[in-house]
Amino acid sequence: MPNPIKPEKSVVTTCAYCGVGCGFKAETRGEKIVRMIPWKEGKANHGHSCIKGRFAYDYYNAPDRVLTPLIRASIDDPWKSVSWEEAFAYAAGEFKRIQAKFGVKSIGAVSSSRCTNEEIFLTQKLARAVLGNNNIDNCARICHSPTQFGLTQTIGAGAASQHFDSILQADVIMIVGANPTEGHPVFGSLMKRRIREGARLIVIDPRKTETVESAHCKADVHLAIRPGTNVAILDSIAHVIVREKLYNEAFVHARCEVAEFENWKALVGDDKYAPEVIGPIANVDPADIRRAARLYAGGPNSTIYYGLGVTEHSQGSTGVMCLGNLGLSCGMLGREGVGVNPLRGQGNVQGGSCLGSWPHVFSGYRFVTDHATRSSFEAEWGVTLDAEPGLRLPNMLDAAVAGSFKGMYIMGEDPVQSDPNQHHVIAAMKNMECVVLHDLFLNETSKYAHVFFPGSSSLEKDGTFTNAERRVSRVRKVIEPLAGLQDWEITVKFMNALGYELSYDNPGEVLDEIARLSPNYSGMSFALIDQIGSAQWPCNKDAPQGTEVLHREKFPRANGLGTFMLTDYVPTAERTSDRFPLLLTTGRILTQYNVGTQTRRTPNSVWHPEDVLEINEQDAIARGLQDGDWVQMSSRFGQIQLRARISERVNPGVVYTTFHHAKSKANAVTSDLSDWATNCPEYKVTAVDVVRIRVPTGTASLEAARLEAAE
Amino acid sequence: MWHEVRGLKDDVDLGTPPRDGPPVSLEIDGQPVTVPAGSSVMLAAATAGRAIPKLCATDMLEAFGSCRVCLIEIEGRNGFPASCTTPVAEGMKVKTRSEALTRLRKGVLGLYLSDFPRNEIPGGWSEFHETLKAEGITSHPYGEGGANHFDARVDDSNPYFLFDPTKCIVCSRCVRACAEVQGTFALTIDGRGFESKVVASQNQPFLQSECVSCGACVQACPSHALVEKSLFDGEYKHA
Repeated sequence: MPNPIKPEKSVVTTCAYCGVGCGFKAETRGEKIVRMIPWKEGKANHGHSCIKGRFAYDYYNAPDRVLTPLIRASIDDPWKSVSWEEAFAYAAGEFKRIQAKFGVKSIGAVSSSRCTNEEIFLTQKLARAVLGNNNIDNCARICHSPTQFGLTQTIGAGAASQHFDSILQADVIMIVGANPTEGHPVFGSLMKRRIREGARLIVIDPRKTETVESAHCKADVHLAIRPGTNVAILDSIAHVIVREKLYNEAFVHARCEVAEFENWKALVGDDKYAPEVIGPIANVDPADIRRAARLYAGGPNSTIYYGLGVTEHSQGSTGVMCLGNLGLSCGMLGREGVGVNPLRGQGNVQGGSCLGSWPHVFSGYRFVTDHATRSSFEAEWGVTLDAEPGLRLPNMLDAAVAGSFKGMYIMGEDPVQSDPNQHHVIAAMKNMECVVLHDLFLNETSKYAHVFFPGSSSLEKDGTFTNAERRVSRVRKVIEPLAGLQDWEITVKFMNALGYELSYDNPGEVLDEIARLSPNYSGMSFALIDQIGSAQWPCNKDAPQGTEVLHREKFPRANGLGTFMLTDYVPTAERTSDRFPLLLTTGRILTQYNVGTQTRRTPNSVWHPEDVLEINEQDAIARGLQDGDWVQMSSRFGQIQLRARISERVNPGVVYTTFHHAKSKANAVTSDLSDWATNCPEYKVTAVDVVRIRVPTGTASLEAARLEAAE
Repeated sequence: MWHEVRGLKDDVDLGTPPRDGPPVSLEIDGQPVTVPAGSSVMLAAATAGRAIPKLCATDMLEAFGSCRVCLIEIEGRNGFPASCTTPVAEGMKVKTRSEALTRLRKGVLGLYLSDFPRNEIPGGWSEFHETLKAEGITSHPYGEGGANHFDARVDDSNPYFLFDPTKCIVCSRCVRACAEVQGTFALTIDGRGFESKVVASQNQPFLQSECVSCGACVQACPSHALVEKSLFDGEYKHA
């Protein structure tokens, strides 16, 4: 074996995969990336990495990458390659025609958490300043919108209270509806370090995940709840804390609204939330609920990390509020080692959330209805802005089906694959007259698009990402954009084509604009990040280098106090029946990432070539299933075919699958229920049944694809 | 663990993890340096700009003391302790270079060299190669044909990296990175003495093992025995 060839150049940048936001040194030879080395000074990863960021970067170079803009008059026509100018002119012409015919509000935009902060900000600027409405949403709608709402209601900020390193001072770690060792692997490794040092671990998850038990890491309490009973179990934990007086009265009196605390105590202290009542509902041992409550309240430093297993429910926002309430009641906020922290799925969910890519708020969660805020944006942008909140993505799709919504600019998202109730999404797409898709690859949504802007991967552009700990890090251009333009340039040129004059020399100027218009970002600049590596918001004149731990003195609410929300448990309408006796829940696996756009184009598919259905042996025996059999899974909403894996990770009555592969269409079966407050879809609970089938038609080609991927 | 991860610097390898104890002052080759208590002499020397040659040590991992390249002399103490496993003490006077140390290091590095594929020495740029260059080691006195591992099979089962045991110096950095940094414990040293070798899980190919391909072992490897396939042209150029 010869010696390896030494890379020539290295650029420090930020990983584009999950919300950990690892720093990497991207090494190149010529215009080719040859290696990604984790950056030792990366404050989110300290020189560590996972398979995705470290190795699965070659998707940027995949043979099916689209390198020229495409247009077509009808989705039944073939795509036509055109110049950038022609694509911008065509898309702009269509949008103007539609707005003239169907009204200003017949068009909207959607940004993605894979975009940089600057791109997200520009996309909402496009909707508000150029299209003239507030029809702007982002994909956090379908993952962490309840986080923003639920945490803001209780502790005043819809963001992680801590930095990742804070876990190294935690004595008790409570993981709710998250699987960090697979979903956020580098944070998972940090957590395991702390557990090996002696921290106690509580896991609330229907599934016995790798986080529950792995080498030298075992949960002290695992509450393997029935999917959909989060709020019940969290209320029951609160019940124990209240009845056994384990709460931190001094903290509550100093930092919280005491009257609301009393109301909350009365609610969760009610007998209906006693472990002996909730245990049978949630299918867990009441003694374990008590143990979890005592461990958490006992601290001394207890911290909560949670994921989509909390948010993606009809009571998603309520679940988040439960966590806020718990943190406040036990005084587990405002210092190192404690906190309530969402684990964000995508690289820039936090940025997507806090930069105004929402129909009702500007950056910093300030309402579009607020005159003073709107005026500051109007002054900066030189236009009059709409005071009426716009449509959320699900509402845009509903309006499209109804016929009043006709055009959409989608940046870096694949709603047809990733949004719930696929049939409905497709019907909406088909009803629109101009769908402009901005992405790296043709995908499920592009089947219904009229214009395709070939985007740049995060290796081909400049900007910033905000990770799950509010940390803003630089994305730096490692190689020239393959299709000629960086994503932010594409959005700017599209705005120009729509008749809005603006230009930036570089995305640093967009960040400067963000800083001028967003209090939490007011101290951010490329220069600051280049100098200190990264900075967590709030970053302003009081905290010129950013803020690691929030809520030290007060909570960012009008009176500075935290408050308690009433979190009555309301079971989801999605229930099992004779016809659909099993509960399906979904999740992620280490080697694949979300709908797989990136990872399926890398050798990562060797590890996970297809989505499989995990089913308990009891349920498998009752259905005559053997490990590896093909099954049809049906719900009230649709059916899919995939292979079964008999697994002890799920309890009887629960089945589990991942959603990484388009061909298995997991979201064809998920329900159309959603969070009561934010419309975040209830992906985590669907009543289904599973029957064995013969090898399905078309499997020959599936098998071939699988083998090909495995090679 | 706080300072151990937060005190890392990109452009230097302190050799052992940073600590945050109260200040301790000592002398390295006559040069005064102050480092936190709990630091190793190796870290103090690196801080003083007198980096000590090493193979099995790196600042992302706890000291292990197996390669015997980082030996030093300490005034008033007997022998030649390894600087990575020796904690600093107030007033300590350390010598990192001497005739005796040069002789010892040369002997140890020669032994490593005698079991390293000869045609893989020119053009190499791993830490092992750089250490040989820095110490001026180009040959060893043991002749050809002695016991060696040159016939060991390359494990290229993982799509992203390969393991070439002929280049492995059994320093355990990969094993320790898998345990300490990643927390997966997929790697171990199988066998003893000259027979010891790095194996994944139950002596399985990497792809079939518990390995999660985080890359920590590849990053830790000082001799390019574990190395990214993407750094090779041709055969190992990935899809």
